[in-house]
Amino acid sequence: MGRNDNQTVAYADVLDRLMAAASTGDRNAYRQFLGEASGRIRAMLRRKVGADSELEDVLQECLIALHEKRHTLDPGRPVGPWMYAIANYKLIDHWRRRGRSRLVLDDTADIAVAAETFADVDVAALLEELPDAQAEAIRLTHIEGLTNLEASERLGIGVSAMKLRVHRGMLRLKEIANGQKS
Amino acid sequence: MTNTASLIDRLVDEGPRSKGGHTQRFALPLLAAFGLCIMGVALTLDGAFATLESEGIGSIGVKWGFSLALLGLGAAALWVLGKPGRPTRQAVYALAIPFIPIVVLLALELTIAGPLPFGETWRECLAAMLVMSPIAFAGAVLAMRALAPTDLRRAGLAAGLFGGAVAMTAYTPYCPERGILYMVEFYCLPIMAMAAFGWAAGPRLLRW
Repeated sequence: MGRNDNQTVAYADVLDRLMAAASTGDRNAYRQFLGEASGRIRAMLRRKVGADSELEDVLQECLIALHEKRHTLDPGRPVGPWMYAIANYKLIDHWRRRGRSRLVLDDTADIAVAAETFADVDVAALLEELPDAQAEAIRLTHIEGLTNLEASERLGIGVSAMKLRVHRGMLRLKEIANGQKS
Repeated sequence: MTNTASLIDRLVDEGPRSKGGHTQRFALPLLAAFGLCIMGVALTLDGAFATLESEGIGSIGVKWGFSLALLGLGAAALWVLGKPGRPTRQAVYALAIPFIPIVVLLALELTIAGPLPFGETWRECLAAMLVMSPIAFAGAVLAMRALAPTDLRRAGLAAGLFGGAVAMTAYTPYCPERGILYMVEFYCLPIMAMAAFGWAAGPRLLRW
């Protein structure tokens, strides 16, 4: 057995031990379990999800799912496969909700686009050219100054969907603005 | 404190142990769908087991053998598919087992006696399958909400097979037909159609 295999067994043992203790009602063990699980899942997600804010969204969805579905872990079964199955499911579900695109959404990218492109144009007028959903997303985040989370809560959609609307809207606005300048 | 850290605090506050009762929340919709179908046919149709005296137990025995085996294996597959991280391939392959003796019996019927003629009850049979299969399928979908399926197509397929098996089990006592070809055409094919629908719709219906 190689070093990595030993590490995997050790990690699995830690998770198994903590979850076994948590199932008896030990809150401290449960806190440690969730902390350990978030570390493992974050490492997994880092290889598949680009932007940090998006990674944290998916990670939090995974932790909530682990918590809400903790009864689906049968006593005595290893925690690792159960945990990673849920994390993978939530990641795929996240991609699906985002429109089957694995486009990486970086919070700073949209701001950069805005600064370069929209300095001398009437953004409010340009928003009329966009689909309502994208225009509303940009109004909330770039004119009213709400965060993606606040805006998504106001519209009743997920944060990732919100970011996607903003991202696509900003790209479209850039195209329109460049078209008007040339 | 980061959002993730505060989320962990909130989850810990909710308690490390789940409230329990998930087995009941899984079983109840399955039993309710089964009961609803049995009650529905009992209230709307007459002549249960009418052919038992003249034909014996053979025909009903074959149909129930098939449908109850599929029903049991379907429920077991749903249970396994609802537990993340468990190997599910065997549970899904096992769903094919009840079809094997039917294929053998069909081959025997066609080679030895030829297809048995069937009467006008096929409309009633098809209607019963078309009405009851979706009801039991819906029960299976509800049952899966108590668990955490991660392969939604397989879970949808199992739910579809379960739905069809429940419909067939409920209607069988009222069916006077004896042929295996009839059984394949008016029971197995609708069941497989329901399974195909479940496979296709699983990702939408079973998301959690």
